[in-house]
Amino acid sequence: MIQYIKEYRFYIILFLFILIPIVGIDTSTRAPRNYRFYDRVIVTITSPIQSAIQWTLDHLVAGYQNYIYLLHTRQENLALTEENRKLLNTIASLRETQHENVRLRGLLNFREKLKLDTVVARVIGKDVSTEFRAIRINRGESSGLRPDMAVVTAEGVVGRVLRTTQDSADIVTILDVLSAIDAIVERSRARGIVEGMTDDVCQLRFALRTDDIEPGDLLISSGLGGIFPKGVPVGTVSKVHRKRFGITQEVEIKPSVDFTRLEEVLVITHHEASPVRHETTPQATQGTQTAPAINSPALGPIERTQPKGTHL
Amino acid sequence: MTRLILRMLNVPALLLIVALGAAIQSSFFASHPLIYVQPDIVLLAVIWCGLKREFLEGGILTLLFANIAEIHSAAPRGLFLTSYMAIFLGIHAISRMVVIPNMVSLIKITIFTTAAWKLITLLILAFLDKAQNQWRHTLIMLLPGSAIEGALGIWVFRWLDRLDTVTFKSAHARQALEDELQLEREGI
Repeated sequence: MIQYIKEYRFYIILFLFILIPIVGIDTSTRAPRNYRFYDRVIVTITSPIQSAIQWTLDHLVAGYQNYIYLLHTRQENLALTEENRKLLNTIASLRETQHENVRLRGLLNFREKLKLDTVVARVIGKDVSTEFRAIRINRGESSGLRPDMAVVTAEGVVGRVLRTTQDSADIVTILDVLSAIDAIVERSRARGIVEGMTDDVCQLRFALRTDDIEPGDLLISSGLGGIFPKGVPVGTVSKVHRKRFGITQEVEIKPSVDFTRLEEVLVITHHEASPVRHETTPQATQGTQTAPAINSPALGPIERTQPKGTHL
Repeated sequence: MTRLILRMLNVPALLLIVALGAAIQSSFFASHPLIYVQPDIVLLAVIWCGLKREFLEGGILTLLFANIAEIHSAAPRGLFLTSYMAIFLGIHAISRMVVIPNMVSLIKITIFTTAAWKLITLLILAFLDKAQNQWRHTLIMLLPGSAIEGALGIWVFRWLDRLDTVTFKSAHARQALEDELQLEREGI
């Protein structure tokens, strides 16, 4: 037997070498294939090497990528800084536009409510003197503006047009000491003239001592004079002082308009409530909007009072 | 005695080298785009065994190498055993029929053997009904893979030859060792 094996040793080994792999072939390749003992020995040797090589490769690649990244970091940083600056400007601009939109929407609602023909203007300057309280707007004769046109906001009366140029106009606010508006108390219908006094307070003059005026009462324009339409808020009574003797009482008015935050205004070029007479001047026809020139007989002497000087 | 120990260490060293090679080729060449130039260390070792080892020793080493490859692969069980054994038997038969005088001839054999191994693997997969998605990839990578294997063989075969020399496993070293042992036995 042994002699037989020795004689056919090569063929027996060859047969085994062919048989073993064929027997080892597993057609059910999806069956679980656990490691055998000697497989685990091999894996124990090779897996740390695989981990080390992979770790080295990862760090080499990461280092190379970081190096490339650093090469462009400064340029990217500058670009991002510039982009950030532009975005911040855009955000500020959009926020400003949003606020402006809210204000203009208020002005639009106000105009539609009172059925007014108006021109929207932006405040571009204030009085050069602290004693006078005029403002300058960016609309003028080319937009149809004429002197003695009423200037309002959604909150109330701002003033009236003092004088105009082609593209700008000076406005006398109701805070100016030379301004005067005929107003009535909305609740009691008491009448008086609102005149400017300080930077944030007006006074109601010629209100009779017997008139029913209380702090908190709202004053509105009476419509007399033809400049301001009737019913536009002028201010709120902030203080009332009745003397023991006399004909009138002292009334302080807080204007409805916050002049410290005034940015856009409406110039009323025509309103239905006032019986105005239209006089189209050659200059007016040159503008984009034809404005009526106010020359009403009902215009009272106080409302026609002109400032004695210009201070813009 | 030291030389005998070194000679005994040849097989474990060869197994360790193949295991390390499998670890390297399965990790270093696992990333893109190195995956397209991934060599097969196991195949080079099988070719080496087919040329430089006795039939029994080389066959057993081939089975062990194939098992190492299967440990690191999701290939169907027995696929590498069969394909590497087919290569071993074929190389062993060729080595009996033709003379491989130098490294160039060895590299040529390596290139053709690599192509044959890929086709054998594809054939076995076809028998296992797994080749429908593989044949296109095998054909595309047939020539590039063979070329890479041939190029890598230049160094790997030199290192293996050096290992055989150091461990007195090569023919010359083995003959020298046997001669010396013979002289020692004769008391010279």
